[in-house]
Amino acid sequence: MASKHGAPPTTYSPSPTRKPHQPVFSDSDADWVRPDGRGFHQCRPAFFRTAAVSAASGSAYAEFGNTKVIVSVFGPRESKKAMMYSDVGRLNCNVTYTTFATPIRGQGSDHKEFSSMLHKALEGAIMLETFPKTTVDVFALVLESGGSDLPVVVSCASLALADAGIMMYDLVAGVSVSCLGKNLVIDPILEEESCQDGSLMITCMPSRYEVSQLTVTGEWSTGNLNEAMQLCLDACSKLAKIMRSCLKEAASASHS
Amino acid sequence: MENGRDDGRTPNQLRPLACSRSILHRAHGSASWCQGDTKVLAAVYGPKAGTKKNENPEKACIEVIWKPETGQIGKAEKENEMILKRTLQSICILTINPNTTTSVIIQVVNDDGALLVCAINAACAALVDAGIPLKHLAVAICCCLAKDGHVILDPTKSEEQKMKGFAYLVFPNSVLSALTEGSVAKGELMEHGIITSVTQGVISVEDYFKCLDRGRAASSKLSDFLRRSLKLQLPSDLSKVG
Amino acid sequence: MGLPSDSGDLSSEMDVDAYRRLFPTHFYEKHLSLSIRPDSRPLGKARDTTLALGAVGSVDGSALAKIGSTTMLAAIKMEVMTPCTESPNEGSIVIEFHMPPICSPIVRPGRPAEAAPVLSKQLSDTILSSGMINLKELCLIHGKAAWMAYLDIYCLDADGALFDAALLSAIGAFSHLQIPTVSLTDNGKIVVLLDEDESRKLGKEPVNSGKKKLTINNIPFSLTCILYKNYILADPTAEEESIMETLVTVVLDSSARLVSFYKPGGPVLAYMSAIQDCVALTRQRVKELQKILDEAVSGMEVD
Repeated sequence: MASKHGAPPTTYSPSPTRKPHQPVFSDSDADWVRPDGRGFHQCRPAFFRTAAVSAASGSAYAEFGNTKVIVSVFGPRESKKAMMYSDVGRLNCNVTYTTFATPIRGQGSDHKEFSSMLHKALEGAIMLETFPKTTVDVFALVLESGGSDLPVVVSCASLALADAGIMMYDLVAGVSVSCLGKNLVIDPILEEESCQDGSLMITCMPSRYEVSQLTVTGEWSTGNLNEAMQLCLDACSKLAKIMRSCLKEAASASHS
Repeated sequence: MENGRDDGRTPNQLRPLACSRSILHRAHGSASWCQGDTKVLAAVYGPKAGTKKNENPEKACIEVIWKPETGQIGKAEKENEMILKRTLQSICILTINPNTTTSVIIQVVNDDGALLVCAINAACAALVDAGIPLKHLAVAICCCLAKDGHVILDPTKSEEQKMKGFAYLVFPNSVLSALTEGSVAKGELMEHGIITSVTQGVISVEDYFKCLDRGRAASSKLSDFLRRSLKLQLPSDLSKVG
Repeated sequence: MGLPSDSGDLSSEMDVDAYRRLFPTHFYEKHLSLSIRPDSRPLGKARDTTLALGAVGSVDGSALAKIGSTTMLAAIKMEVMTPCTESPNEGSIVIEFHMPPICSPIVRPGRPAEAAPVLSKQLSDTILSSGMINLKELCLIHGKAAWMAYLDIYCLDADGALFDAALLSAIGAFSHLQIPTVSLTDNGKIVVLLDEDESRKLGKEPVNSGKKKLTINNIPFSLTCILYKNYILADPTAEEESIMETLVTVVLDSSARLVSFYKPGGPVLAYMSAIQDCVALTRQRVKELQKILDEAVSGMEVD
């Protein structure tokens, strides 16, 4: 019987820690290619599947390149005892990372703000008045982080909400753009995000042409900003089409 | 050396047992249980109103809190809590006090092997002391399998570390059970069934059955002791309940 | 709620789903008396089981196991540590079982599931005591450096028999594990060699060339059964576990030795006949699982 002795020893990852090397993305010319060979304004192929978790009221799995996310929706169900009476329903969001989501074990906990950002992105799309006094829980788990995590989580969450039959004004699709020097790249991967000068994320309801969340960080020129917003909005409406077709497929499969 | 036990016991011999009840004044029931140098203190509070969330409000709820000798509780203690909770749930009549919680607090005083077993015995005595309705008593025993295939009972800590594997077993003690309809199993006596079994180490299935046989035989000795020590202190108990 | 005896009459008038929720024990007893379960399984049959190796890209070994809807994702990351003085030629394995809030309605964020640490402990005990992995193979430089294998198992969907699925995914991850080739730098650190041939030219000798895979012996496989009255139900769903509370988990290794017989309490006592039946069911299941594992491993080699 090997008994456990004392505290676990300290360990380190043997993989070489490379500094984000700027030369790959030199801002001089547009003659560099993206690490995965995509065009600057080309999104990764998106894969969605609903009803991924049987224990949940609704759920969805999303895979964009190496970014893999599962979202489960529970409810509408009884609110916490401590909550005050409310005429409209409550939305409760939580985003967590697996310990192996990031290249270095256990780094995913840096994204504490994602839970509240997911909440803000979805809140406006959900008809909260259709489930008074109760709570809808939206829980996301990032299985693998491959860049553009939050927009993928938002899109996946809105699909999970639809799968759970929660009333919404429209699906919410999220896309982000990174600014690397003079270039704008859409749907950036982890490597690109690590050396970006600025980033912009839009989550929107494409059928209503309404933006539910817009975040801008870093250095932007007005021209770039306008271009980036238009890029995102166009990509969002394309993404929503893919999401809608996924829902339609699931519905027709369950009917037949 | 035929049995080769450090303290010169025979393979089937248990360490000296000691049990005393009502040793804590604030608790509704309490007991200390010693097997050799392993000593555990159990206190029972309740039944108190209300159950924890996710528990069935139509039944009584048992809560177990494990306090180690030193330090904080880890995974091993959490597992012990869960095993103890499930074991006690199966001997308590949960339908008598629905929507109540009974807390069982286990304080380890000294660990010299067979700790979980000692804690189960202590908890059982403390539940009786608190007057919690029980279907029957439970007696727990630790059987070890030595590398040469011998079974020894009630190991000390140093013996535990030398063993190939061991089994913690909990048997019911049904001779004077209050419940009659439960003992309908065909062909087998109720006290031959096991409530709990936890094993460690790789052993053959036959060896496990050997452990079961030995444990079962020894459990009657243990339950006699438990019953005797409960009877001994009965008068004081009656005055307390009354 | 009405008296339980009323339910017999209600069963013909009531919607099946309503009856199932209001009188779960009666609902199940009606099925059990016909030796069938609500999901149309015979009592002793496990649900469809699949194992996919290499589900996660960013780790050294991973596997996705599904038993019915219960889904487990296991991933191993290898890190380097200094071995402790008592065993200078051994590496170490740390096993952590996680139940994120997505997997079940009873887990809420910030309040970890009670079952998670218990299952972590059970899985560590089973994997380490089975001797499946020889810890000496995780040694890099005697007394100086050894591998620490972090095995993280995530429950993605909890629908009963969590231990069985978690153990299967863990075994899958170890079978898939590819140990990276590493070398020692001048300052005593272990670093991954990206290109073996190129670094040879630079005079960097790999510390562990030719030790890509662990040898796996005596693989433990498990089966959880429910004991209810005189019935034994193999591989329970979450609903079955909540209604019939007596669970027995038997773990046998590939040479049919008993690694664990785990019955944490429960209202039903396990008699000799039931114990023997559970072991017999597990023996059959071990054969099934061994086949599933072999197929998953050979499927990897074809790719």
